[in-house]
Amino acid sequence: MTQDQEQSLQGWVPDLENGVTLTEVVEFAFDYRGNVTLIRRDGGELVGYLFNRNINVSIPFVQLLDQEGEASKIAIEEIENIKFTGRDTAAGQSYEAWKRRKEEEKAEQAIQ
Amino acid sequence: MTVPISQSYAVASYVIKQKVSRRKRYPLVLMLEPLFRCNLACAGCGKIQYPSQVIKKHVSLEDCLQAVDDCGAPIVSIAGGEPLMYPFIGELVEALIQRKKYIYLCTNAILLKEKLEAGLFQPSKFLSFSIHMDGLREEHDDSVCRDGVFDIAVEAIREARDRGFRVTTNTTFFEGADPDRMRGFFDEMSGLGVEGMMISPGYSYSKAPDQEHFLRRARTQELFAAALENKKPEWNFNQSPLFLQFLMGKRDYECTPWGNPTYNMYGWQKPCYLLQEGYAETFEELMEETEWKSYGKASGNPKCQDCMVHCGYEATAVDHTFSSLRALKDTAVATIKGKL
Repeated sequence: MTQDQEQSLQGWVPDLENGVTLTEVVEFAFDYRGNVTLIRRDGGELVGYLFNRNINVSIPFVQLLDQEGEASKIAIEEIENIKFTGRDTAAGQSYEAWKRRKEEEKAEQAIQ
Repeated sequence: MTVPISQSYAVASYVIKQKVSRRKRYPLVLMLEPLFRCNLACAGCGKIQYPSQVIKKHVSLEDCLQAVDDCGAPIVSIAGGEPLMYPFIGELVEALIQRKKYIYLCTNAILLKEKLEAGLFQPSKFLSFSIHMDGLREEHDDSVCRDGVFDIAVEAIREARDRGFRVTTNTTFFEGADPDRMRGFFDEMSGLGVEGMMISPGYSYSKAPDQEHFLRRARTQELFAAALENKKPEWNFNQSPLFLQFLMGKRDYECTPWGNPTYNMYGWQKPCYLLQEGYAETFEELMEETEWKSYGKASGNPKCQDCMVHCGYEATAVDHTFSSLRALKDTAVATIKGKL
């Protein structure tokens, strides 16, 4: 894992029986810049980017854009868990990482 | 002249109409993001880091126009992503001109010359290309993480000016900016004949990977005071002079995030262009159900404490202009005399 990826949730499978709640996982998923796999209580799965959630309504929900770009709205009460399966597109994209790469390129060119 | 008289009149009429109707919260500029796809990958840009299905997707032309109609703001800023990559950008601009909306087409200009040569746009008082320029060559290419983009943008500005288009620039100054270099940038853009410059300090997007490189409030005032001190007469800013005085620490304003509502493929972004705390399905839902008191400096929200970005405060300054004779006079004097 590189310096820029240290904070990424990529690959995380939340353990909902030990310290983290589904509501917290939904918030993490909302902040995550990659696809997640949403596990339904009926055993079904949906892969997509979780772009919205609202817990302040009568039926709290999340909204995803699936891999075909179609939007879905799913009640949170239907969700068993959310796995962070997709690539974190923000990881390694920091300004610092770019500056480091640029400095390394300059150093290599200087050697040549 | 920084803004055409017709545009100033349209905005003034609109704001006065809101005041007369005692509308407490009203939009001034719609931030319309038809897509997140971009031909640059700037570090610190929280708009482009999404999975591929999001990057490939765009808002339909019909939904864009519905958002414009629902919002009703007199100015539409087409942002993104790179709007020139939107497949219906020509149709969108034409439809907005028919609606007499003043358009700021925000672009990195990489594709601008090509689109102009293809005849995609025609000059109009309603259309201004707002070219993303984050400083002189070194600073800009550094900011967009690609060498050579500054020169491409300069060439595109010249091309657009030669063809009779309105051209403005849109600049974010980040931590470490040098006031003397900023003044050099103002000189260079003025020399290119841009109609006006829009400037703003950066903000730390909660989802941006580049938290440390944005300005804090106190340093922002110090920086802009130094850069704008003894403003040269040839520097034209496409902004309220009261907002610039706010950046210089001469005024204190509160954020009006509803002034620049944002619409994109997810819906209406809550609460503002910078923070992504959820989405409303309709403009009415955004305005009526957003907890506005939870945002802005006075709210104590830590995400808002250092923010002085134009999407939150320019609408405040414009609203202030029409709130008292004193503010109207201050704006007029600053505009006519060119002093901040």
